[in-house]
Amino acid sequence: MASHNESIIREPLITGSDITYAKITTDVLRPVENAPTKAWWIGFSMAAVGACLWVFAVSWTFWFGVGSWGLNKTVGWAWDITGFVWWVGIGHAGTLISAILLLFRQKWRNSINRSAEAMTIFAVICAATYIVAHMGRPWMFVYSLPLPNQYGSLWVNFNSPLIWDVFAISTYFSVSLVFWYTGLLPDLATIRDRATGIRRRIYSVCSFGWTGSVKTWQRFETVSLILAGISTPLVLSVHTIVSMDFATSLEPGWHTTIFPPYFVAGAIFSGFAMVQTLLLVTRKVLGLENYITMFHIESMNKIILLTGSIVGVAYMTEFFIAYYSGGEYEQYTFLNRFIGPYWWAGCMMYGCNVLMTQLMWFKKVRTNIAISWVLSIVVNIGMWFERFVIIVTSLHRDYIPSSWAMFYPTWVDLSVFIGSIGVFFTCFLLFIRVFPSIAMAEVKLLVKSSSEQGKKKLLAEGHLDPSHAEFYKESLTKFDSVDLSEYEKV
Amino acid sequence: MDSNKKYWKGLEELNNDPEFVEKNKHEFAEPIPIEEVLSGAGLMNKTPRRDFLKALGFGVGAVTLAACQKVPVHKSIPYLIKPEEITPGVANYYSSTYDGHAILVKTREGRPIKVEGNPNDLLSKGGLSAQAQASVLDLYDVNRLKNPVLNGADVTWNETDAFVKNELAAIKTGGKKIRLVSSSVHSPSTLAVIADFIAQYPTAKHINYDAVSYTGIIQANKNSFDKAVLPHYRFDKADIIVSFGADFLGTWISPVEFTSQYVQNRNNKSLQNKKMSRHIQFESGMSLTGTNADVRILIKPSEEGVALVNLYNQISGATLPGTKKLNNVNADKALTLVAKELLAAKGKALVVCGSNDVAAQVLVNAINSLLGSYASTIDLDNYSNQYSGNDAEFVEFVSEMNRGEVDAVLFLNANPAYDYHNGSAIKDALKKVRLRLSFSDHNDETASLCNVIAPNHYYLESWGDDSIIEGYYTIVQPTINPVYNTRQAEQSLLIWSDNAVKDYYTYVRNNWDKNLLAKGGLSGQKGWETLLQTGFVNVADKANGTYTFTRELNGVAQTILNQSSQSEASGDNKLEVQLYQTVAIRDGKRANNPWLQEMPDPVSKVTWDNFAAMSPADIKKFNLAQFDVINIDVNGYSIALPVLSQPGQAQGTISVAVGYGRTMSGPVGDGVGKNAFPFHSFRNGTFQTSAIATFSKTGDNVILAQTQTHHSFEGRNVIRETTFKEFLKDPSSSSGDERKHKKYDDLFWQDYEIEKKPYNWVMAIDLNACTGCGACVVACSAENNIPVVGRDEVRRRREMHWIRIDRYYSFNNEEGKSISEEQEISTLKDLDHVSVVHQPMLCQHCDHAPCETVCPVLATVHSSEGLNHMAYNRCIGTRYCANNCPYKVRRFNWFNYWNDSRFDNYLINEHTHLVLNPDVTTRFRGVMEKCSMCIQRIQAGKLKAKIEKRPVKDGDIKVACQQTCPANAIVFGNRNDPDSEVSKALKSERTYYVLEELDVQPGIGYQVKVRNTAELEA
Repeated sequence: MASHNESIIREPLITGSDITYAKITTDVLRPVENAPTKAWWIGFSMAAVGACLWVFAVSWTFWFGVGSWGLNKTVGWAWDITGFVWWVGIGHAGTLISAILLLFRQKWRNSINRSAEAMTIFAVICAATYIVAHMGRPWMFVYSLPLPNQYGSLWVNFNSPLIWDVFAISTYFSVSLVFWYTGLLPDLATIRDRATGIRRRIYSVCSFGWTGSVKTWQRFETVSLILAGISTPLVLSVHTIVSMDFATSLEPGWHTTIFPPYFVAGAIFSGFAMVQTLLLVTRKVLGLENYITMFHIESMNKIILLTGSIVGVAYMTEFFIAYYSGGEYEQYTFLNRFIGPYWWAGCMMYGCNVLMTQLMWFKKVRTNIAISWVLSIVVNIGMWFERFVIIVTSLHRDYIPSSWAMFYPTWVDLSVFIGSIGVFFTCFLLFIRVFPSIAMAEVKLLVKSSSEQGKKKLLAEGHLDPSHAEFYKESLTKFDSVDLSEYEKV
Repeated sequence: MDSNKKYWKGLEELNNDPEFVEKNKHEFAEPIPIEEVLSGAGLMNKTPRRDFLKALGFGVGAVTLAACQKVPVHKSIPYLIKPEEITPGVANYYSSTYDGHAILVKTREGRPIKVEGNPNDLLSKGGLSAQAQASVLDLYDVNRLKNPVLNGADVTWNETDAFVKNELAAIKTGGKKIRLVSSSVHSPSTLAVIADFIAQYPTAKHINYDAVSYTGIIQANKNSFDKAVLPHYRFDKADIIVSFGADFLGTWISPVEFTSQYVQNRNNKSLQNKKMSRHIQFESGMSLTGTNADVRILIKPSEEGVALVNLYNQISGATLPGTKKLNNVNADKALTLVAKELLAAKGKALVVCGSNDVAAQVLVNAINSLLGSYASTIDLDNYSNQYSGNDAEFVEFVSEMNRGEVDAVLFLNANPAYDYHNGSAIKDALKKVRLRLSFSDHNDETASLCNVIAPNHYYLESWGDDSIIEGYYTIVQPTINPVYNTRQAEQSLLIWSDNAVKDYYTYVRNNWDKNLLAKGGLSGQKGWETLLQTGFVNVADKANGTYTFTRELNGVAQTILNQSSQSEASGDNKLEVQLYQTVAIRDGKRANNPWLQEMPDPVSKVTWDNFAAMSPADIKKFNLAQFDVINIDVNGYSIALPVLSQPGQAQGTISVAVGYGRTMSGPVGDGVGKNAFPFHSFRNGTFQTSAIATFSKTGDNVILAQTQTHHSFEGRNVIRETTFKEFLKDPSSSSGDERKHKKYDDLFWQDYEIEKKPYNWVMAIDLNACTGCGACVVACSAENNIPVVGRDEVRRRREMHWIRIDRYYSFNNEEGKSISEEQEISTLKDLDHVSVVHQPMLCQHCDHAPCETVCPVLATVHSSEGLNHMAYNRCIGTRYCANNCPYKVRRFNWFNYWNDSRFDNYLINEHTHLVLNPDVTTRFRGVMEKCSMCIQRIQAGKLKAKIEKRPVKDGDIKVACQQTCPANAIVFGNRNDPDSEVSKALKSERTYYVLEELDVQPGIGYQVKVRNTAELEA
């Protein structure tokens, strides 16, 4: 899009020498056009085992009943809805990156949006499976859709947040899918152009006859913007509505007006952490370090820090309101997070989400790949516990003490959860085999303006403030293994 | 007019080609390739378009025609000739008797499906116990014997009769003894049959044997007043009740009747008259009665005698020789005050004692005599027939067998091989008996040792009568044809004794015609029919005579004090064991009943097990933990039981329930808990229920299946209680007086205008009347087809009961302040001062129901009559409603309880399905369920009113829990009728609504619990 040169003091969005359009294509399509590597096979077989476990555990649940989970008369939701909210939350980063960052012209998104969007799709699929699996009678799922029926005026309950959920999730899924696929079109066409035989035919169909004409590109840009506009409110609405499952209820610990923004922040928080987890591995394994650079990693860490802190403020607000409200049941619920039998879950939640992410104030932490990766996983563990604490710790001791009960997961609970991670990774690993994991067309836009090459050209032209030039060179060695010898020449 | 024009379709026709002429002869111009198709070759050809269409047309036509074929209809003809009294879909009620209480048996299409108290029953006014409610299920028990058994093989009745009569004749000639052992028989006709049998076989003798015996009281009354009977206690006439270990609301003698009497001085009506009785309980283990006491004093079993002696001294002013002071400081202080209170209430006081020791009961008689209780609270003239067991006679019978003097023994409703304390002695002794016969309808522990089993009818299949209170006669009539090839025991006895009357029905009829009908002012066929409808006759009470105790007490005191010092446990790991019955299982005869096994114990809330109840202080002291399994050893017999921390258990004691550990009761009851009957001992001529035990840790750990695991109400105003003193000052004390609350406009709720509708079904529950007995839980299960889920599922907290009774403990600290929060309780040193409250909890049918708004599919909705409905067919099982229910009363079908092999033993088999209430659907897995306020009963009541062209009257409709409640604690009705009982109850100052601050507008009002804890606070 941008035709101007970018300021030299901006870090490059693409590093490495001799980055040409062709090189980008070759680099990005390496996993798509070649036989899978050993690493892929190892990863895929592990993920596939997980997916099989999921199929087994979910079939078990369908055959015997939800009773095979550890739920009881007091705790009617536990790992199921925890898993559901967790996955939906993870799914948030993709749309945020592709839509909001697109509207804000954050060009660094170009290298990561494809994977993040794919992740969104798969995470939402995992979340949706939980919705169906947690039902007592999943074969009656259609009742939750407002379909014309022979019962006369029998309709769904538009007062129920679960119905809002049905709409929110399905809208979110379909818009995300369309957005993702639209973005894929030019890249699919690239693959088509390079492929032969049956592959060519398949990609030809998939690319919807992309011609690459100026008009096509223009329309492509317009559609992308429109879809970004549609998706942006969805980023906020989906988790808002998910939070209303809790916020509109009567349960102490659920009945909280702060939930919508708190949940959205938490969702972005966990979504970015998941993107971070995946991309740190992907860039290494697929050799995409030039496109997903330290700049990306640090930027994402900053967002994690920001959203983590928002979540922290939300936690504090909750405690303050519980204290300030004087509500007996509310106060007990929040106290119970620390002194009750699930105190350890509370500690995991507050520790992982608030305390650990505060480490990212340090640049050294933000720019250390190993620590970033570990922290991104810590965040996801913490966010899982956040949902567990909100759901189980609130439910297990609510109004009437005689009904207070503990929740103990069964092997089925565990298998469905581990299995859903397996399903997610199976999908993701298949995705990087058949689709370009980086949006080639969009990354190519960066080459001229903001890549290292572009900057190098600026340096060569020599119209720059020498201190800026120095700063730039320094930044290169700081984070990435860029060979500076070439710069000596200019 | 003919046209000359010639029309032609083609040149061929015009020219009349020979080829065309040839073709035109056939119906089809081109040959149809039928042959080819049939030969298979045609299938290879390319099908022309027309053929395809033809085939399609034919196919559709053929399928349509085939579909017109009538599907065979299986017509079931329930009644070819409809019995006059049966209308399919309409229930018939027959009066009968359960354990002396007049009942109504509800039958549908010829099968009994529910037992309800006869509202006119003199003893309990329509209330029934959990056991009675559950009894209907046993009728369909597939483990009942299906034929008589002779030497282990199924035989016919003729063969049985031939064998038994032969044997009896031979024994009669031989002159050896015949013994008929039964649990107490109180049926006049049965007693007459037995008398006839004995007349025929003069060496025969009838021995009443009760697993849990009251011989102590009977013998004491013989000693004191020369009347060997159980008195009829009148708790309704007592202003102050002092009980020493007698669980009269739970298990002692006639608990349902006593409950009904007891609450008369404590319920709403009594409180409105500013009257409330006082109840002081001295006991070791926490009994149901103890939980209701105003003051509860902990004593060990060994201290009971000393306490009685001291109480006697205090009341009489004399000092019995050998008197010693109680070591128990609390109890000692309390006794002085209790004596004062008793004396102040002379003539309106009652002292009862649960001990089966003759000496202790003699002393109690002496105390009651001093208090003037005879002629007021104790009736020896209209006495109770309920128990007449004689322990010494039974022990003598065992030695008779051992001596080889007995040639025949007949067991009627007695199972001593299980419930006699020395069961193995019975086993050995029985080997020496020639004819061993049991009338048991199960192959139980005793029947399995017999060579003949002549299975008795179940009471719902029998004719008969009963009389548990002298002068009150009830009738037993069959409500179904015998399910199996069984025969009534009385009938068998008639046949074997060659009685002139061959048929027991005629026998009962004769007996009534001759002796009993006249007592009720009835006679002849008409009188008999009236009896069958009313269910009982009652002779006006005899004057309740005054009895004065005049016997010498020195010897009695000596016996008591000696016994006390002997039964005191001393030494390491020695504790006193107190044996008791649980409300659900009682003496274990109904152990195979899943409804009873799954009914939570009213105090411990444990299902499916017995356990060792110990005080929290002892558990700490002996370094045990909750659910640690300990081995309890009494004189060489030991059982391993998990420990339960029981607040209010006397330190130094263990309470263990009898009635568990059956080995041959059937698949449900076998192996549930451990048998504690062998801990009984025979001392001073009676069976005694305490012992000294040594215990040791086994290292095992068994988690008991409890339906409630948190026991304090955390100071929440879910429970509201006050003292009688406060109540007198301000009747609305601590109820918060809902009537004064400001009402806010509904912003979000559609106005149902429920008050303008004809009906608004609501309920009022009086916490001061509810004793927590749990009969409602079983009644609800029977009425609403609630599945039994078994121990494992209860452990996972998944019991399905629609109504539960929450039981909370609170503790008094040193300053006498009530402590109910877990945090504070954990800092208390002394956990002995515990008070208990029971709260029935069921769907509150909130007018602003939080469950209704969150259901995505509108499966739970509000009715125009204020009820919260559940549409099972619409439910998809998201469980959101249950999560959002602040009362946690919704129950989810985690599994398909009605068709899942894992739950086979409970209610799924060919016969137990017959007990289901056809008006209530069984629920499939994955749907939510909950209390419907017995909507089927509401509907039935409305239909009846409609047919009679009138509005529903108050009292027309009684819900199942209300119907069975012996305490009348539950009132159901129409709030829009200002004169209805429930409207009045809800207007009481004591009424409050649980969690009313949430503005869910619950439809069930509770009335504040009042404790009469005036001056005595030990």
